[in-house]
Amino acid sequence: MTRVVDVPSHFDDRSFEQFVEAFATGAGDRVLFDAHATQWASPFGLVGLLAAGQAQAERQRERPLLTLPADRDVAHYWARAGFFRYATEYFELHGKVPRVAASGESEVLLEVTPVRVADDVHGVVDRIQQRAAAILSRELGLEAQATMGFAMALSEACQNIVEHAGTGGWVAVQTYNWRRTLKRRVVVIAVADAGIGFRRSLEATQAKRYGDRWSDATALEAALVQGVSRFRDPGRGQGLAGIRRYLGRWSGKLGVRSGTARFNLVPPWDDDVPLTQGLPDFPGSQVLMIIPAQDGGEAGHAAH
Amino acid sequence: MQRIDLMDILRRTVSDDYGDLVTRRTGQAVRQAIEQELAEDADGQPAAIDFGTVRLLDLSCADEIVGRLLREQGGERPFVLLNVTESQRDAIAFVLERYRLAVVVQEAGGELNVVGEVPEDARRVFGVLVEAGMADPETIAQRLDLSPEAARDALESLRERRLVVASAGTYRAPVV
Repeated sequence: MTRVVDVPSHFDDRSFEQFVEAFATGAGDRVLFDAHATQWASPFGLVGLLAAGQAQAERQRERPLLTLPADRDVAHYWARAGFFRYATEYFELHGKVPRVAASGESEVLLEVTPVRVADDVHGVVDRIQQRAAAILSRELGLEAQATMGFAMALSEACQNIVEHAGTGGWVAVQTYNWRRTLKRRVVVIAVADAGIGFRRSLEATQAKRYGDRWSDATALEAALVQGVSRFRDPGRGQGLAGIRRYLGRWSGKLGVRSGTARFNLVPPWDDDVPLTQGLPDFPGSQVLMIIPAQDGGEAGHAAH
Repeated sequence: MQRIDLMDILRRTVSDDYGDLVTRRTGQAVRQAIEQELAEDADGQPAAIDFGTVRLLDLSCADEIVGRLLREQGGERPFVLLNVTESQRDAIAFVLERYRLAVVVQEAGGELNVVGEVPEDARRVFGVLVEAGMADPETIAQRLDLSPEAARDALESLRERRLVVASAGTYRAPVV
């Protein structure tokens, strides 16, 4: 029997919850991810969909089905963003995959890129510095130090996959106009994997300390607020703390979802909540970083 | 003073293709290569680590190459970090504050600073010492309007942390 999981029409970090709710319900069936009505997907949506496909393929030992967006422009955008290059590994695709040249678009700073080993992180950092520094400076008004900090945050987020996920994941970086609560251009980093997640990664060293309170939420709190790591070396656990500090300095937003919980570092311009528990379960970890244009950038006050 | 070129080590030990010090694995490989070079010079002379043409230093590499190196070898010799950019200094400060350690940094423009956790009065003493090039506690005391004992205590605390070197009653930064 095939179970249909609708990919939301506007697929981003918020509608991801609606997607996960459908995904988490029912097991044992082959899944059809139906994106035919999808009109827009953020980098978070695209890497999250790949993580869902990976999780389902591993669970069922059979690739789930994916119906491509019917809108030609949307499918073309997914192709330019690099989604289909890796989707064939985890999905049986239904619909015509557009043939596009490598993205030359300025808004796609980094196409969907796999992260499995440390070398991949070097590649990601190298590419983002070659392609993004001028754009981040011109369009978002970020100083040279901020663009280096951006690459640092990207490196640390990708390393979380290599060091802790127990499987591969994906990263994508893009700029766009933030429609929801901020009339500015933003740069978005999305990193997702379908690995073991924060709770299992920290269980051996932290669960006893928390006792009955141990959960996805307390695991996120331990990692993001207290800077603990599964390694006993006191130097470990600094990556996420460094990301928090960087985003705090540039009024950025950090969202980390793992299992049934999501932690947010909420900037003044956003209306999200710091911690959400009891969400539908989704494997691995999904990280979202949003850095808004600073005063002085070309798009410091971009229209919707 | 032993001078260690980080870009040279990165290319020799990890890959010719890389210009960034990122990932824990790269940091470990580079730190181990630095330790090997230091082992060849066991007389406790100051060591200068040149960041030169390195582009990005992430926190994992800052922790391995500076934090862990100072934790394990900082008591044996003074270290000076050369040609450090603002963003690299930021990453180094972040990891050193966690360990309550500090190191002397010569920034890309040539300015000498102490980066990491140092009491404010000791930081001021270091600044005056750098301006003077070499000074005794009395000179520092006069310049900062401190008692000679307070100046001596601050200089000794810097010396114990290997942030300055002392010879015949005078102190100086461990510069190249």
